[in-house]
Amino acid sequence: MPEGKAAFLEVLPKQGQLSVEDTASMVLCKPKVLPLKSVSLEKLEALQRAAQEAAARQAEEAPQPQPQA
Amino acid sequence: MGLEPEPLFQAWSYFRRRKFRQCSDLCTQLLEGPPGEQEPDSEYSVFQAAWSLKTRALTEMVYVDEIDMDQEEIAEMVLDENAIAQVARPGTSLKLPGTSQGGGPSPAVRPVTQSGRPITGFVRPSTQSGRPGTMEQAINTPLTARPITSASGRYIRLGTASMITNPDGPFINLSRLNLAKYAQKPKLAKALFEYIFHHENDVKNALHLAALATEHAQFKDWWWKVQIGKCYYRLGLYREAEKQFKSALKQQDMVDTVLYLAKVYLRLDQPVTALNLFKQGLDRFPGEVTLICGIARIHEEMNNMSSAAEYYKDVLKQDNTHVEAIACIGSNHFYSDQPEIALRFYRRLLQMGVYNCQLFNNLGLCCFYAQQYDMTLSSFERALFLAENEEETADVWYNLGHVAVGIGDLNLAYQCFKLTLVNNNDYAEAYNNLAVLEMRKGHIEQARALLQTASSLAPHMYEPHFNFAVLSEKVGDLQRSYTAAQKSEEAFPGHVDTQQLIKQLKQHFAML
Repeated sequence: MPEGKAAFLEVLPKQGQLSVEDTASMVLCKPKVLPLKSVSLEKLEALQRAAQEAAARQAEEAPQPQPQA
Repeated sequence: MGLEPEPLFQAWSYFRRRKFRQCSDLCTQLLEGPPGEQEPDSEYSVFQAAWSLKTRALTEMVYVDEIDMDQEEIAEMVLDENAIAQVARPGTSLKLPGTSQGGGPSPAVRPVTQSGRPITGFVRPSTQSGRPGTMEQAINTPLTARPITSASGRYIRLGTASMITNPDGPFINLSRLNLAKYAQKPKLAKALFEYIFHHENDVKNALHLAALATEHAQFKDWWWKVQIGKCYYRLGLYREAEKQFKSALKQQDMVDTVLYLAKVYLRLDQPVTALNLFKQGLDRFPGEVTLICGIARIHEEMNNMSSAAEYYKDVLKQDNTHVEAIACIGSNHFYSDQPEIALRFYRRLLQMGVYNCQLFNNLGLCCFYAQQYDMTLSSFERALFLAENEEETADVWYNLGHVAVGIGDLNLAYQCFKLTLVNNNDYAEAYNNLAVLEMRKGHIEQARALLQTASSLAPHMYEPHFNFAVLSEKVGDLQRSYTAAQKSEEAFPGHVDTQQLIKQLKQHFAML
């Protein structure tokens, strides 16, 4: 800190009122960094998707059972 | 061409090149032909070789590393009686994430999952769903985040998958198999066991075979002991599994066995024992990446982010292409206000060839907060393009909404959050943020409705409760404001604004 006249002096107001209104503002939810998926999870999901597709295909191919009269 | 390779050799070659479908088809042809004569100097015939190769090919098609497989079902989570201490001391349990002394990140900075843990940078089958505290909470969770029930469990689904793909029914009819006969032939038995365990998901039969085989090996084969341990683990007999793994470790020191044993301890909610086990393992296998990574995961789950990051850095010292470690350190930097460093980690992942929606979304966020605006929107565009399902699209739109808020384009932000909800109707964060935007426009009623939706969807987040408290206080509904503020404090005890609001409200009530 240089001494003498060249130094900056802080200014503190001696008179007047300082009022701060402290109101709580609403908060946003934070941005989400997405987690990467592990290899086994990706494989599991791929297997599951394949199984679901295969099941859907079989359900389509299978003839509709005729209701008994 | 005239130069046809020997069919079994051809099948073996397919197997080595991981063309399992072709391998299995060729083996089927071989098996349909006449059984070949036995080689004089071998105890196995060509027929048996083809059969064994086919079981291995079919297993490989659906093989998922059992160490990573860990799916807790609702009933197991809520009615868990395996934990030793119901009221654990701080720092000794995975169930009380808030009890670590290491100082987890504040929820004001890093979003938390349903179980109160900060969100992680990497997701494995076992981290996918948080542990709900009560049955009610488990059932009220939005469908996308709900832990699976045994009826929809992946184990079962994968088991039926094998039958669907085969029009003539299963390759091996387990109920007609004479397991004792196979147990006598160790080479066939090991392939058969893996087939039963991974492909058919028939743990009971697998256990039966393993028990017979280990008896035949006079309890001297550590491999069978590990397999029996795996079966016990799946059946929920954790103490028995522990015994088998320990006995196997005595015979043969293997990293895999250490990992399985640690998995048992984690399920028994004994993270400290698991940590010690990993450290002993590291003495015997210095610098083993999977062990260090296991330590880091435990620290992360105990909400001790700084030491988790240290261990992840150790992992990177051994293996500088470890995706999990890079992703976790990256997300840790992002949430400790260093997006430019996080950006470097995510860029590293991009260089390594990871190319998916999540990575581009993270790159976009990091670019924006590191003030590299030129890359931000193109990264998000790429992320939207690469999104595989609606949940991923919703995540990207949600983050884009934050970018829009950041540049002050509130109309765009509004539309982004709306698009999030179009893609995923259970997105509580988007409801909350929309409410804040509505409130800015002065639409109090809409904001109130949105906040109520948000807090019912995600009671573990403090934001909707707090916002609701602020809103109610503004319109003069002090009683509701107080209840909401209390919920907010429950979700995030250290939140200063909530505490101030509660203090204010108490003063109001005292004056009345």
